[in-house]
Amino acid sequence: MTSQGRRAGGIAAERRRGKRSGARQAPRRKSEPLRPKERRQLLQLVACGTLFVALVAVKLLLPDQMEALGGKLSAAMRRNMDVQAVFSAVGRAFAGESGAMEEVYQAVFHPNEAGEVLETAAAVDPQLLEESAALDTLRACRPAAGETETAEPKATDPEPQPEQTASSLAYVLYSDQNLPENVSLEQALLDFDYCTPVSGTLTSGFGYREHPVEGEERFHYGVDLAANTGTAISCFADGTVTAVGESSSYGKYCIVTHAGGYASLYAHCSRVTAASGAAVTEGEKIAEVGETGMATGPHLHFELHQNGTYLNPIYYVTTA
Amino acid sequence: MSQRPKDRVRISPGFFLLTAWFGAVNGWRLLAVVLGAAALHELGHCLALSCLGAGIGGLRIGMSGAVLEVEGRLSYGGELLATLAGPAANLAWAVVLTALDSQRWTMAVGAHLTLAVFNLLPIVPLDGGRALYLLMAWAAGPGAAERVVRWSSGVTAVALAAGLVFLMKETGGSLWLLPAAVGLLISAGKRIFL
Repeated sequence: MTSQGRRAGGIAAERRRGKRSGARQAPRRKSEPLRPKERRQLLQLVACGTLFVALVAVKLLLPDQMEALGGKLSAAMRRNMDVQAVFSAVGRAFAGESGAMEEVYQAVFHPNEAGEVLETAAAVDPQLLEESAALDTLRACRPAAGETETAEPKATDPEPQPEQTASSLAYVLYSDQNLPENVSLEQALLDFDYCTPVSGTLTSGFGYREHPVEGEERFHYGVDLAANTGTAISCFADGTVTAVGESSSYGKYCIVTHAGGYASLYAHCSRVTAASGAAVTEGEKIAEVGETGMATGPHLHFELHQNGTYLNPIYYVTTA
Repeated sequence: MSQRPKDRVRISPGFFLLTAWFGAVNGWRLLAVVLGAAALHELGHCLALSCLGAGIGGLRIGMSGAVLEVEGRLSYGGELLATLAGPAANLAWAVVLTALDSQRWTMAVGAHLTLAVFNLLPIVPLDGGRALYLLMAWAAGPGAAERVVRWSSGVTAVALAAGLVFLMKETGGSLWLLPAAVGLLISAGKRIFL
């Protein structure tokens, strides 16, 4: 609209100028051919007008298709690359860190996949419908409401307190098909010693939840342990620091690789004190709690991976 | 030199828009890092120019980057040095920052490296394209240099754009790389066809 207005204004100005200089030139009659500049501006105006009318017509005539297209476009826009993560990974690759080049590619073309902001509910919509069906069967099976009633509204987000009921619920609700890829709800037996990285309150569990910043239903790939900024983060178990980085969603984070293909991730740190490549032991301080990246308050976002599969860390941490 | 500073530095409104947008999307800290890297890049050019005894006529900053206008004439070799001084400044900063602390300034190092590598692409308005032109003009004359640069610009821009579009299609990621690819194609196209 504005461009049209400006173009039209441009033509008007041109005309006025034409009139003012009329003393030197004979006034043109209407039938006289337009000068090239005027013709170009007129063509631009017609093209803009046509485009505008055509777009409005398409929107009115094919509302569903346009909405679908709009959805697709905004989804594609949201997958924008994480510039901060790209630069950080490039910098680390330059410092000779192995695997950082892959991170560059990851940050450019699969920006959100490494972050907690991923898998939206829209992507698993049909399964969510099945979920409510699963809830119905569950209700039917347990007529004596009592405990289950309280757990029910949180069914999509197994939160701390109803641990017993929620975990059994989780098995029913999260059948393999409505879980995002690379997520396992089974409790793996770790054959090494481990400790809780930060003793804090559990503010968000593993599973679907309403995203605190973006507002939509998304899978949360770790647990959030609230603690004051600067609280020491202890390493989960013996291992090697394989990545220290920074991204717009994770903020300052580090990844420690342990025996047996396990790895733990610590995000939103105010400071990472361990150096990349360093050997660390269980309980050793590796970072400090903060609220860098996409966080609404100081907390540790803790993830546990086994060969690329996200595990529920709640089985291995004790919360305050 | 007699010009007022207002005329010597021209900043297009598009640049402010782009900057504001980038800051809003990626945060002001990252914006500062990128602008800082760009400023040090231009400073590299300026330093080389003043070392070579050439004056700086003006600075134009637009959406696609900054352009320094040089007062007076330089030899091919001198201009080549001044052209390469920008990316070289970025590389030097990357090396220095990494040497100081390999963990702390990874983001700034990344920004410097990205800027240096991007500017060294052999596409015409970029430093790499200009350097290639100067090198060829020095070795084989301006006519041959013009032809070589047209080809290198066209081929690189088309290959890059095709690669980006392919990767975007494959991964469904980073729609924002598209304007960059289109911009490169347009500027290379301008040099080839106009």
